[in-house]
Amino acid sequence: MLEIWLPQDPLLNAVFLIGIAAITCALLMLVAVFMLRIRMLIRRRRERIHEAQWQPLLAECVFGVPVTLPKVPENLRYHFLKIWNFHHESLVGNTRANLEALAGAMHLEDVAREMMKTGDLRERLIAVMTLGHLGDRTQWHELRALVADPSPMLSMVAARALLDIDASSTLPWLVTVMAAREDWPLSRVASMLKDAGPDRVTLLLISAAEAAVRAEGGERQVARLLRMMEVAHTERVAAVAGRIAREVQDPELIASALRLVQDPRDLDIVRARTGHEAWFVRANAIRVLGRTGDATDRPLLLDKLSDGHWWVRYRAARALLALPGTRIEDLEKIRGTLDDPYAADILTQAIAEARAT
Amino acid sequence: MSVSDWIVGAQWFFILYFIGVNMGYLMLNLLSLGGLKRYVEAHSLDDMPRGISGFELPVSVLVPAYNEEATIASSVRSMLQLDYPEYEVIVINDGSKDGTMDALRREFSLELFPEAYWQRLAVKPVRGIYRSKTYPSLRVIDKDNGGKADALNAGINAARYPLFCGVDADSVLERVSLRRVVEPFLEDPRTIASGGTVRIANGCTVDSGFLTRVGLPRNPLALLQIVEYLRAFLFGRLGWTPLNAVLIISGAFGVFRKDVVVEAGGYRTDTMGEDMELIVRLHRLHRTRNIPYRIVFVPDPVCWTEAPETLRVLKNQRVRWQRGLSESLTMNISLLFHRRGGAVGWLAFPFMAVFEWLGPLIEVAGYVFMIMAFASGLMALDAFLTFMLVVFSFGLVLSVSSLLLEELSFHIYPKPHQIAVLVLVVVLENIGYRQLNSAWRLWGLLLWMFRSKARWGEMTRSASWQSGPGGLGKGVER
Repeated sequence: MLEIWLPQDPLLNAVFLIGIAAITCALLMLVAVFMLRIRMLIRRRRERIHEAQWQPLLAECVFGVPVTLPKVPENLRYHFLKIWNFHHESLVGNTRANLEALAGAMHLEDVAREMMKTGDLRERLIAVMTLGHLGDRTQWHELRALVADPSPMLSMVAARALLDIDASSTLPWLVTVMAAREDWPLSRVASMLKDAGPDRVTLLLISAAEAAVRAEGGERQVARLLRMMEVAHTERVAAVAGRIAREVQDPELIASALRLVQDPRDLDIVRARTGHEAWFVRANAIRVLGRTGDATDRPLLLDKLSDGHWWVRYRAARALLALPGTRIEDLEKIRGTLDDPYAADILTQAIAEARAT
Repeated sequence: MSVSDWIVGAQWFFILYFIGVNMGYLMLNLLSLGGLKRYVEAHSLDDMPRGISGFELPVSVLVPAYNEEATIASSVRSMLQLDYPEYEVIVINDGSKDGTMDALRREFSLELFPEAYWQRLAVKPVRGIYRSKTYPSLRVIDKDNGGKADALNAGINAARYPLFCGVDADSVLERVSLRRVVEPFLEDPRTIASGGTVRIANGCTVDSGFLTRVGLPRNPLALLQIVEYLRAFLFGRLGWTPLNAVLIISGAFGVFRKDVVVEAGGYRTDTMGEDMELIVRLHRLHRTRNIPYRIVFVPDPVCWTEAPETLRVLKNQRVRWQRGLSESLTMNISLLFHRRGGAVGWLAFPFMAVFEWLGPLIEVAGYVFMIMAFASGLMALDAFLTFMLVVFSFGLVLSVSSLLLEELSFHIYPKPHQIAVLVLVVVLENIGYRQLNSAWRLWGLLLWMFRSKARWGEMTRSASWQSGPGGLGKGVER
């Protein structure tokens, strides 16, 4: 039957056959769609049953380790690790210890060690996370090697695992890695540092920042470290931030350092930076003045209400309101005397915001 | 050359064009497949509990609204409940003629606020800026009508945060939508724009502005668009991401670095495709000035939008899209084969120009030529059948492969019978619907060529999937 439809021209014939091949390919893909769907439905059903069986046992960990533990089938190991880790991340205190005891009784560390060596990124991620939660020191070197992995996700999960296992040994070298790896989002890095606690990270961050300032081409690392310092003990990092704000020339660095300044002894440099050519440096310096300045800064701030950049004017208006001893009524009087409409407008807005809050 | 030589030559041109266009898309599909697998694997721990670090980039969500009285309150309310640590919502009432502004005043206790409006981008006059007494993070700009681009520019002027997210007032979001689309900015500071997959909301159930149940619409046109959107978003955009050559971030939901957009001059108000034009312009400016940057497409479904359910409205939309595409490409034509153009100038732009911009012209000409040549006896049956087979079979491969990608990744449509319906649609869309689309797009191209006056279509929306005021909550699960 097919023969009568085959074109006579050999080229057309070839194209015709390519078309038939494309239809066959589409049909095969349709079969694949159905097969995938069937496989997914079976897998989800299995996972639902498994979850229903395990949820009460994991919840029981709030009171203690369950005595009888069902065996986890091979094809549900990944799923089980996900549920277990989810509980571990959600709970605190003794419950975590009970969960870890449950994991020990089930030899989860062996499962995770084996899974960490597979080529599947999902399995490696969950395995690394499990090893961290279990505090498994046997894989220390493997995990440390993974911190250098090009995958940001895998390397960050490995770093987090090492912190879970032994934060004191990990942090001294990890802080430098955190500063250097720009593909690690600062939000995730900050979470890790927060969990480690300001007592542990403050001095390390300060010495890393000081080293980076001295190093040639270390500006980007200094900038990252200054951001990271926001989770440290603020009064201790303020001194180094003040020093950096004095010493460096890069506007981004000055602005980052100014965010941390809070010592009145640094007010001279803060005031000087309100005249910087970069608007974001001026805005940050003015913000600090609002926080640490005194009544003598009022003329400077009033002058900045006429700055060419909106954000500088806005920060100046907010800083005026924040200065010690400032009354809104006084500022309203001052507003009436301002010749510059931009200055008056921004002060009006800041006063209205202050009244609204 | 004789007439028959011309006929044979034309016949081969059209056959090879259809094979070429489809092979191009298949290549994109392959690129998407790898990217999607890596993305899904790398985000496999996203459902783990995650705290707030305080280092997330704050975002200004901009919601331009024109005659959205029926749905604006629930839309804004949903945007105020996004799962994101620090953001503000700015609604821009673009001179609505209905009760949009009254609805906003009533629902959110707005009061006029003496804000020192910073006009970095030129916009139509702003009548007033309001703040909500009940939601401190909500502001409303009431301004003269100037179109969507003008409204977005007004929002950018008022935005406080370094990132802004343009959202259509009728977009249905998920709570995690913003978090997902902002992620690329945290991962790489070079990121200047990011967008996610837009899906069809018809047939779904929406409660308080959030999607609560995914379903398929009963309307055949909306069903056809589901497969079309799968194709357009999954490999039409994801495929270009590894090459940093994504040319479209949907205006329905996209996040941008504000300073970069202001520097580029904001949205152009003289185009119907302001969202695409901005992206192409950003590529052009960054490439030609040699500034490192990234424009990223996130495959997660983050935004659901109502698809047209009548031929008239659908036609208007497609005509508008084609005109927008034409304007976006021609306004930035210097990027084409620019020596610093990279993958955008040398691959994505020419691909878009040949297959998407001029494609409808060649496609419709191909159909017309083949049918007329066959009907007049100038073309043999076997050549005609071969052409039709190529058109159908390659179209089918593309449609099915998008369904396969969906099945390999997000499984948005969970019920087996939904997949069965989609399989049927995948086959049917190649018989008539795609051809009709080509004809509409050709019409859009012609209108653009002859500079017919452009109007922002006032799209008729039923919002029948939306519960609460303005919707009947009759999402249908099929």
